[in-house]
Amino acid sequence: MSSLAKNIENLGAFCLNALEQTGRTFNMLLQVIWELLHPPYRFYPIVRQMYFIGARSLTLIIVSGITIGMVLGLQFYNILQRFGSVELLGAGVALGVIRELGPVMTALMVVGRAGSSITAELGIMRITEQVDALECMAISPDKFLIAPKVIAGLLSVPLLTMVFDFVALFGGYFVGVKMFGVAEGSYWNGMIDAVEWQDVRLGLEKSIVFGVLVTLICCSRGFYMHLTKAGSQGAEGVSSATTDAVVLSSIAVLFSDFLIGALA
Amino acid sequence: MECNVTSESGFDLIKLSGEVDLQFSPQLREKILGCLKAGHPLLIDLAKVSYIDSSGIASLVEGFQTAKTSKLQYGLLNISSTAMQVLTLTRLDKIFDLYSSTDQFKQKLQ
Amino acid sequence: MSGNTTTDKAITIRNLVVDYGPRRILNGINLEIPNGQIMVIMGQSGAGKSTLLRCILGLKKPTSGSIHMLGTDIATASRTDIYKARKQIGVAFQGGALFSSMTVAENIQLALHEHTNLDEKTIQIMTRIKLDMVNMLEAENLMPSELSGGMAKRAALARAIIMDPKLLFFDEPSSGLDPSTAAELDQLILTLKKGMGMTIVVVTHELDSIFKIADHIAVMKDGNLIETGTPQQIIASTNPEIQGMLNRKPRETIVDTDAHLRRLTGGF
Repeated sequence: MSSLAKNIENLGAFCLNALEQTGRTFNMLLQVIWELLHPPYRFYPIVRQMYFIGARSLTLIIVSGITIGMVLGLQFYNILQRFGSVELLGAGVALGVIRELGPVMTALMVVGRAGSSITAELGIMRITEQVDALECMAISPDKFLIAPKVIAGLLSVPLLTMVFDFVALFGGYFVGVKMFGVAEGSYWNGMIDAVEWQDVRLGLEKSIVFGVLVTLICCSRGFYMHLTKAGSQGAEGVSSATTDAVVLSSIAVLFSDFLIGALA
Repeated sequence: MECNVTSESGFDLIKLSGEVDLQFSPQLREKILGCLKAGHPLLIDLAKVSYIDSSGIASLVEGFQTAKTSKLQYGLLNISSTAMQVLTLTRLDKIFDLYSSTDQFKQKLQ
Repeated sequence: MSGNTTTDKAITIRNLVVDYGPRRILNGINLEIPNGQIMVIMGQSGAGKSTLLRCILGLKKPTSGSIHMLGTDIATASRTDIYKARKQIGVAFQGGALFSSMTVAENIQLALHEHTNLDEKTIQIMTRIKLDMVNMLEAENLMPSELSGGMAKRAALARAIIMDPKLLFFDEPSSGLDPSTAAELDQLILTLKKGMGMTIVVVTHELDSIFKIADHIAVMKDGNLIETGTPQQIIASTNPEIQGMLNRKPRETIVDTDAHLRRLTGGF
């Protein structure tokens, strides 16, 4: 009996905590929007963050894009061959990548590469009083630290997604056309016929949402670290906040992917 | 802050008065560099300065370096005690040429 | 520049209460910090010194009470007003809190870049003047990770005074430093008071430096302010708690050797 009560209590605490975290993340979004409405604007910090989130993830994105394209090419070829319609290979790869895998895989890669270090950076700044120091210099941490990261996420993830899509199509091309001998013309033409503007738009919308979501969650886990249990644990707290941030933002990406897909 | 520039015989004189702070020191800097660019030796009167912060001091220092590079005489006149305190604190009281009258500066020019 | 404060108090704190959940951290603090002097807030760790400091700086909202700093009630002021007041203060944090992605010079210049439109040349000279004051001119281009503890504290001090604040806060200036570096910092604090007329608030538990620098001392214990006064008054205080803090008693010598042996071994 008491163990049941304990379980219910734990569940309640978990839900409250989750609600609180969500509230803080949303509050952070409002702060960023508020800062965006109030000049002065500085572009250099955004460029720096874009370099960090975007440019330095590029190799990873290219490598994983090619790999995913090749895997898709292989699987689709096997399936389509059974129905004798390998000329649909280009369409299959393109739609899969542009609508679904491009945005999702890119966002997950960004979570792993940039998101985790955003949380760690902000968490360390919090526990070493660097955030307080900024506050005391009358510099808004929202403007100085958070906004550039979120904007950079908003811009970088769609750009990275485009790169991912592009190389993935070539990965599929390599497997389908070069390895299995699908006609080159049917691969590209099938793709051009099948992909509509709304597919591209869906992919783009997803990647924008993912970009904001990932940076916001990672920022808020690090920045508000002192308000959570991890806050009192010093360096260990930073590492657990980082793990949390990666798990949470990955789930958020997958779940919102489903939501956007269902609503579109 | 008030900052009056007058042309004396053979040099420019800047008379400073009031509070030289973050807000006004850009103006001071501009005037100092303006005089030096025109190739005039420069004497800055600090008698009526009631407050000077490190941005004001920095402008004076930059002027001094500029004057040295262009081989012009550059001096501070009648430093008020508050200004002197700041100069001492920042260890700059020894590096400037200090004068107690315009005549003294004129002699140095000859 | 010369103040919007009509009183001779830089900070006036009235009935300050801070609760953290069911725990009371600060229990009705009343404190006045006079202009142009050095106020040391002392007390053992857990006494509530840091919470008091965080409240004054506007980093923590008190449960009730008021904190008037340079004419603004920090306890109730809007974010904008708090930021306005903060432009007139400087804070040197315990561990330095230097921004790890910037060089020492960039750290020091940050406030100037954000809040003024001074020429880059002026900013550079100002930075070097402050670095020279804390005797760190050669460390200009180092990263914070390359500094020793004492250097980080001095760099933090240079950053705190870059805007020539009226009010300077220093959290634990001498903790974790060797005696000579600590003495050097104490000297620097005294120079700043004398040379620039700054009001300085120091939070510390290091007795050695307290009596070297303080004009006024406020003693805290368990969330209460148990005594305020000049160093002489504090030394002369008859309050046993304060005497206890001032005379760190040596540990009693071991009398019962058998009992001690048993304490160490658990007695088998």
